[in-house]
Amino acid sequence: MIGELFVPITWSIAGQVALLGFIGGILSGFIGSGGAFFMTPGMMNLGVMGPVAVASNITHKFGKALVGSKKHGELGNVDKKLSLFMLITAAAGIRLAVWVMKLLTGSGDSHGAVKGAGADLYISLVFVGVLTLVSLSMLRDAMGSGKDKGAGPSTRIVDFLNKLRLYPTIYFPVADVNVSLWVILICGLATGYLAGTIGVGGFIGVPAMIYVFGVPAAVAAGSELYLAMFMGAFGALNYAFEGMVDIRLTLLLFAGSLFGVYIGAYGTKVVREVFIRLVTAVIILLCVISRAIVIPMYLQQLGFLGFDPSWNAWLNGTSKAMLYVSGIAGGVLILVFVFRAWLQRRQIQASLTTQIPAPVVQRAAGSAT
Amino acid sequence: MQIICISRESVRYGRQLAEKLAQKLGYACVSREELTDLATAQGIPVGKIETAILKRQNISEQLALDMDRFKAFISASLCGRAISGGIVYHGRTGHLVLPGLTHVLRVRAIADFEERVTMNMRRMNLAWEKARAYTEDVDEDRRRWARFMYNVNWDNPALYDITINSAHLSVENSATLLTQMAQLPEFQPTPASRRVVKDLLLGTRCRLALGKDERTRDIKVTVSVKDGDVSVVYLPRHARQAPVIPSVLEGLEGMRSLVCTVATTNILYIQERFDPQTESFGHLVEVAEKWNAAVELLRLVDDPEGSEREDAEPLPATGAPAETGGILEDSPDMPDCEDQGCGVPETLQRLIQVGRAGAVRTLVGDGLAVAGKLARAEQYSLVVVGDVFLSRGAAVRKRLKRDLVSLLNEQMRIPVIGTEDLKEQYLFGAKQWISMVFYAAATVLLYAGVFYFQEGILEFLAAPGTTRRILSAVVVGAFAPFAAIVIGGFAHNALKLVKLE
Repeated sequence: MIGELFVPITWSIAGQVALLGFIGGILSGFIGSGGAFFMTPGMMNLGVMGPVAVASNITHKFGKALVGSKKHGELGNVDKKLSLFMLITAAAGIRLAVWVMKLLTGSGDSHGAVKGAGADLYISLVFVGVLTLVSLSMLRDAMGSGKDKGAGPSTRIVDFLNKLRLYPTIYFPVADVNVSLWVILICGLATGYLAGTIGVGGFIGVPAMIYVFGVPAAVAAGSELYLAMFMGAFGALNYAFEGMVDIRLTLLLFAGSLFGVYIGAYGTKVVREVFIRLVTAVIILLCVISRAIVIPMYLQQLGFLGFDPSWNAWLNGTSKAMLYVSGIAGGVLILVFVFRAWLQRRQIQASLTTQIPAPVVQRAAGSAT
Repeated sequence: MQIICISRESVRYGRQLAEKLAQKLGYACVSREELTDLATAQGIPVGKIETAILKRQNISEQLALDMDRFKAFISASLCGRAISGGIVYHGRTGHLVLPGLTHVLRVRAIADFEERVTMNMRRMNLAWEKARAYTEDVDEDRRRWARFMYNVNWDNPALYDITINSAHLSVENSATLLTQMAQLPEFQPTPASRRVVKDLLLGTRCRLALGKDERTRDIKVTVSVKDGDVSVVYLPRHARQAPVIPSVLEGLEGMRSLVCTVATTNILYIQERFDPQTESFGHLVEVAEKWNAAVELLRLVDDPEGSEREDAEPLPATGAPAETGGILEDSPDMPDCEDQGCGVPETLQRLIQVGRAGAVRTLVGDGLAVAGKLARAEQYSLVVVGDVFLSRGAAVRKRLKRDLVSLLNEQMRIPVIGTEDLKEQYLFGAKQWISMVFYAAATVLLYAGVFYFQEGILEFLAAPGTTRRILSAVVVGAFAPFAAIVIGGFAHNALKLVKLE
């Protein structure tokens, strides 16, 4: 089985997968969702077949979301009713994605192409298409917010849908919004399908909740995590049923991500909201470029392009380097924020303790310094 | 210094009633529209705030600051006018910007829905259905405003002392009734409530001064005032601008002292009698230092007699979801703390010394009633309940405290724990070492087991046949959360050890 469906794991690969998990965890903790956009292609660059990378990542996501949603629940950021409504169609979306993937995994053998190249091409195309849209929208939004300090995310879609009054509508008490059942079902289906295809449900679910439903950002992130727990479980069970989950990769991802997610979350406390959106958009965009670079390789493997196969190693190498550069640069940037905040905290503490009691308790009249 | 707030459904009826009432009592009459115009003239973007709330936009940091300034402006305007004489205010939910003031007469003026639709139909020249939809939208907008700004349900009758139905009572008769009601002792200012109004006015003026000054307008602050002693809590990222806070606030009338504290978040500490020498207080300070949090002291004075009383002293509503700034107030009629040896001054002094001082409040109530009144307070990260209900027997005390913790937990949706659990939950002691070693060992075993038997495990997971596949799914379904809990437990403990939470 090892060598056919699953890659042999050397110390080097194990370290790289754990590092992917760590950086993915930092990004996930910082951005509030995802991390898969970095981990899935990262594993594919290490030679893991696309469906196995997605399956192992979605299994990892299931466990991580279970632990994370409990914490979010304690903070009151989870609208369980909204999550459960979206879950109904998200489950169908995942099942559809798994079926399509299974179909494409077998397609390589039929005409002599590299096994799994069809699925890899399909995943890469969806990845590039969807995440380009998401990152450019986020970038535009962040730039807009930078110019106008009072502006939040756009509500044009919410306003448009409210005017349509598509009944029945459902009230969600924690998010404090009324949303049409039909809109929820369509967004749930899209979220589930993309989660099952590229393992990146959060990047669709969270913006959908914010821009289409009008849910506050904190509740969107918490509810998405709660939804991700069920979707992750459903996806993991489906992929496990198809025999595609590499439990070793899941464990290695856990080793990095469960540490990284704490550090990333700490970073959000010390960085401005607009800057978080800006960093997120740039990181995703770089990942998209990284994945786009290998698309010609899959096309060549499927016989659609006729260039020298020795170029494939270069394309794969460049894509891998690009992904690592974007992920590591993002991770390092966040670590720098965390370190600076820690340093600043120490300096503030020092100033307070040396000035006590007079300058801290400052008399308004006369002796104020 | 009497304050009467009318929450109106019909603007026309509300205005007529307020004007008539003000005329009868010889008070000033102020409308929401008047204050909104004044706030806009002061540079507060009220229109933008309304649009953001009603159109369900996400609230940016800047807008949260503007909302905070707007609330402070309304509070300051009402308190300022109330001090110089009585005031009748008509708007949406005016009394909610005056938390802690028990002598405010809170009136809800309702109107017949059909009548309002007819009026809108005539006024706007609309068809019946459109006028009806418009009226429904207006009501929903008002509910949304109250929910968002104050986290309350506008329709909740508990928010009002009396409801006037314009369909049955004329303006003249309603005003006569309210004039008589305003004479009741419950709505007369007391020395304590006068003090609260003054503190509220000072706090809101501080907030407005900080919002107006270019050097401090972007700082997120929480301002609290007790007997003229002002406490300003700001975030670490504003440390550079913070040194100018004293110069911005210098010279404000009524300010006796100013304490500036840097904090990322707030911890609410509820006790009946505070003692800075206790071990549990030491643990609390340790957690506050670790989290860079300010500790707000809430002295809960037990009131066994008032256990059935419905209106135990309410805590102020604590602001919109997206904000952390705001004005906190002290409740009136506070039992004299220093005479009773409550330990608040000593504890506050200790917190000031370590740079963790937040606000101080006292609450009189039976605990359970108080918990029921607590608004969802999102600016706290943790609520710690210490020794309360000290006059009761040991068993009753234990049970009441457990009930209080559980009720607060449900009400506030943030972690609420007893002081006895503080060390175990948030600090690193022997128990955490054992836990970490256990999780570390389990993690090592997990990895060793999976990688040692990797060939067999993968063969099993990818084996053909429906029964084997179902078994694979079950194994993966059980393994993923188990592994996450084990590895997550280790990661959580390890990061707690290095104080990175």
